[in-house]
Amino acid sequence: MSSFSRSAQQWATFARSWFLIDARVQPPGKIATMCAVRLQGKHKPIYHALSDCGDHVVVINTKHIAFSGNKWEQKVYSSHTGYPGGFKQVTATQLHQKDPKAIVKLAVYGMLPRNLHRRTMMQRLHIFPDDELPDDIRANLTEELPQPREIPRKLSEYTQEEIDAFPRLWTPPEDYKMK
Amino acid sequence: MVFLTLSCLIRSRGPDRYWKVQEVLKHARHFRGRKNRCYSLAVKAVRRAFVYATTARRLKKRYMRTLWITRIAAASREHGMKYPALMHNLTKTSVQLNRRVISDLAITEPRTFLSLAKLAQARQQEGFHAALGDGKEPSGVFSRIVLLQ
Repeated sequence: MSSFSRSAQQWATFARSWFLIDARVQPPGKIATMCAVRLQGKHKPIYHALSDCGDHVVVINTKHIAFSGNKWEQKVYSSHTGYPGGFKQVTATQLHQKDPKAIVKLAVYGMLPRNLHRRTMMQRLHIFPDDELPDDIRANLTEELPQPREIPRKLSEYTQEEIDAFPRLWTPPEDYKMK
Repeated sequence: MVFLTLSCLIRSRGPDRYWKVQEVLKHARHFRGRKNRCYSLAVKAVRRAFVYATTARRLKKRYMRTLWITRIAAASREHGMKYPALMHNLTKTSVQLNRRVISDLAITEPRTFLSLAKLAQARQQEGFHAALGDGKEPSGVFSRIVLLQ
């Protein structure tokens, strides 16, 4: 290497990078897979399970995640306090209202390998319900990852011309009464 | 580690039992608890350890292959390819490198790996074009393309 020394190369290889993921209108499972791969370091060719080469992941806007189907009502998060009668079950909506970070956190935690490194890797996951980041974390960020799903546009975001030009499935007759 | 037991055994001609015990204990010295000094416990632990070692010799090959695959998958995703697509197209272009060599290239020679990825990508595109064909109907087949025309 002519441009920089081998030791600098070593540092560059094993340095931890900080990824930013915007979870606005994204499925939590997709976000969690992206996080889990990077927390384990499985996106690097030097990966080894014992070499602790995982990166930091910052997830923002977890308040605005989007479940598909009827998961907000039907998906149940269960836990047990350990005491008799301590079996707790809450739906995704209730959990999200209580803590907007919990759903993404649990999803990532479930996707990491069940070993002693799991808690360490979770410590490198930084979740924020809004898009406001503390300055020390913002200074570390190196890369923003593309969102797995395209955000659909709202009707209010379309201009009148685009709405008029939109292909119609059915043209109502003149005397049709709109409900 | 230097094993002097055998040479001592030849020289000493002393009580055989002592040296037989040492033969077993030398494999158990790093074990935890009384297993590393009590013969009756050690001999059981050493037997178990040797059984594990025998199976592990076979398992090691399996684990190494999964590790290579993980590494190649990571490296190929950097270049926008998936692992199965990369390996399939490399075999199609008769690149006879095994997974160990490819993963080593991905770590130590990233540009060589990039050229391999480009080669596989080109082969993939070729395959797609061949599969699409020239947009015409093969002879003797009646399908939706004819209806649309």
